[in-house]
Amino acid sequence: MRKGLVTSIALAAVAVGALLVEGPRGRQSLVIGLVAGSGYGLVALGLVLVYKSSGVFNFAQGEFGTIAVFALWGAHSVGVPYGLAMIAGLVAALASGLATERFVVRPLRDAPRVTLLVATAGVSLLAIGVEIWLGEARLRFVAPALGRFDRVSVFGFRVSDQRLLVIGTLALLAVLVALFFSRTNLGLGILAQSENPTAAELMGISAQRLSMYTWAAAAVLGGLGGILTAPLANGFGPGFVTLSTLIPAFTAAVLGGMTSLPGAFVGGIVVGVAESVTTSYPVFTDHFPGSRSVVIFVLLVAVLTLRPEGLLAPRATSGQGAL
Amino acid sequence: MTTTLTGRDSVVVAPPADRAVGRPSAAGWAARGAVGAALFGLVFLFPLTRSGVDVNIYTEAVIYAIIGLSLNVLLGYAGQISLGHQAFVGVGAFTSAYMVTVHEQNFVAAVGIAVAVGAAQALILGLVSLRVSGLYFALVSLAYGSMAEEWLFNISSLTGGGSGQPAPKPSAFATDHRYYYLCLAFLALVLFLDWRLTSTKTGRALLALRSNPRVAESFGASVKRYTLLAFVVSGAFASLAGALLAHNTTRVVSSQFQFQLALLFVIMTVVGGLRSRVGVVVGSAFFSLASYLFDHLHLARAVGALPFLPNLSPDIAPLVLGPLLLLFTLTRHPGGMAEFLDPFQRWLLGERAKPRRTVTIDLREPRGSNGA
Repeated sequence: MRKGLVTSIALAAVAVGALLVEGPRGRQSLVIGLVAGSGYGLVALGLVLVYKSSGVFNFAQGEFGTIAVFALWGAHSVGVPYGLAMIAGLVAALASGLATERFVVRPLRDAPRVTLLVATAGVSLLAIGVEIWLGEARLRFVAPALGRFDRVSVFGFRVSDQRLLVIGTLALLAVLVALFFSRTNLGLGILAQSENPTAAELMGISAQRLSMYTWAAAAVLGGLGGILTAPLANGFGPGFVTLSTLIPAFTAAVLGGMTSLPGAFVGGIVVGVAESVTTSYPVFTDHFPGSRSVVIFVLLVAVLTLRPEGLLAPRATSGQGAL
Repeated sequence: MTTTLTGRDSVVVAPPADRAVGRPSAAGWAARGAVGAALFGLVFLFPLTRSGVDVNIYTEAVIYAIIGLSLNVLLGYAGQISLGHQAFVGVGAFTSAYMVTVHEQNFVAAVGIAVAVGAAQALILGLVSLRVSGLYFALVSLAYGSMAEEWLFNISSLTGGGSGQPAPKPSAFATDHRYYYLCLAFLALVLFLDWRLTSTKTGRALLALRSNPRVAESFGASVKRYTLLAFVVSGAFASLAGALLAHNTTRVVSSQFQFQLALLFVIMTVVGGLRSRVGVVVGSAFFSLASYLFDHLHLARAVGALPFLPNLSPDIAPLVLGPLLLLFTLTRHPGGMAEFLDPFQRWLLGERAKPRRTVTIDLREPRGSNGA
């Protein structure tokens, strides 16, 4: 743990220092990366939550976010106040999470992991299909929760309140979820169940109820990620969160070791900054026109090859490491 | 029986179907003969009555069957999943087109190189994703597909940029019809290889791995090596299909290989029926031909008339119905279309419909290995 942590922090400090020293472009990409990375981290938190409890890569996580954004947009455009519309978005995400659990995850409880993985991809695909069907494949715009953008500036770059909200929410949630897993009975139950389902069941932990709570929580996290980041993007359409965020978010989660919540947070920031650096320097953009996806692929391959247990993981495990 | 494993803790093995031959009457044989002849005619003769784009579409269905079999090796045999299969197919397509057009290789050499490149990329991605146990191939292939779409397939010196890379048909199979039969021959080859794969020690090892990796490993089957083999075989099949696809349309364009295609591949393979060659081939061909059949059988109006599905236009219908079918198959009929094709197939071959006898050997966790 210590060695990996120290190395990671040292590397991060060197990278941040280099960007700060390099000049305005470096500083700007740092700020942009931090904000984008927080969005990835938010989605990654939900991915880690589901993976921790059931060992499944949840490909539907992004769509929980998109559904929330559509609900927010729909409610807001018929005149519901923004705060209530946000709640409507979260409720829609929650409902889709519960429906996924009830109609897809629960029937496949005893199926191989790969079947469940395909099923979550199917849920995502179905959600996108329904969004295209009911909402047409066009771009929409949604107003931010906090409209001011001239209050705070970092290194001479304005950071809008909405962006600060995203970063703050991610940090707060990462801490809350970590506390949830280490302090509450429910959180410990989820860990126990992922460790050994039979023993957990014998101790009186209801696997079915835990599964329901986990998916509900993951869906709300995904929904929150969607409604906070959608106003920052240049419009949203069907499959918005899945297409824009799912691959970076998975990379972030893998960087963190797939089971670590702080790892997902840190991984998100790393992916965000790496991405913004490669898309803002001509060295990269001239030679790699699609550099965004190249850098994410390279990060994913690099972490799996060099440090498959993740940046913050205590030791090499098959993904069952504790917090 | 297909296993020689012994001992208390063992794996579940499904032996080959009981080939207890019944005795159909003369009329029974005539009916089977007629149905068999009709199927033969549909596959081998019917395309001759059509021309141009229609034949290209049938050829594509044959190629999709190869793609389905390729994905079946991963999903059905190895219990792994690729969400970047469109990129594997695309790499095969561009490699073959590049070899023929830029390096003026002949068709056979180009396809051979494409298959080798496809196997190599799958091997490398597989090695990376097997660093951690789990389904990481899903993530690695997903990111790989995204990178291929945004960067790799846009390198104009390799792929010809936006206008694409020309990929002429081989001179001996230059007509659409001849090329169709060539692709059928390749499908037969892939089916044969797939059959060999499942009926040898490798196949039994893969089957055992899927059932219980821990037990299989304790019997000496290396999980990593056999899973890697499945990646390589799958990558090679996918690349072969890509190469055939390239020469079918005589031009490869990068926009052909978008992410949605990978999901269509997954849907067609799963709905067709994992681990059933007939199911996968029929399922893949069906989904490949879906929009064509939709147009020609006037199903669009039928769907439009459904009261509970307002404005579900033929363009959008597959986007909603495809995933629904996938989820329905996974949760209710994991055998897919093969569940329904299997009895038919046995009837056609003159076998009495008799329930498959599965030998379930008691499977206990090896002691002391809980929660490892």
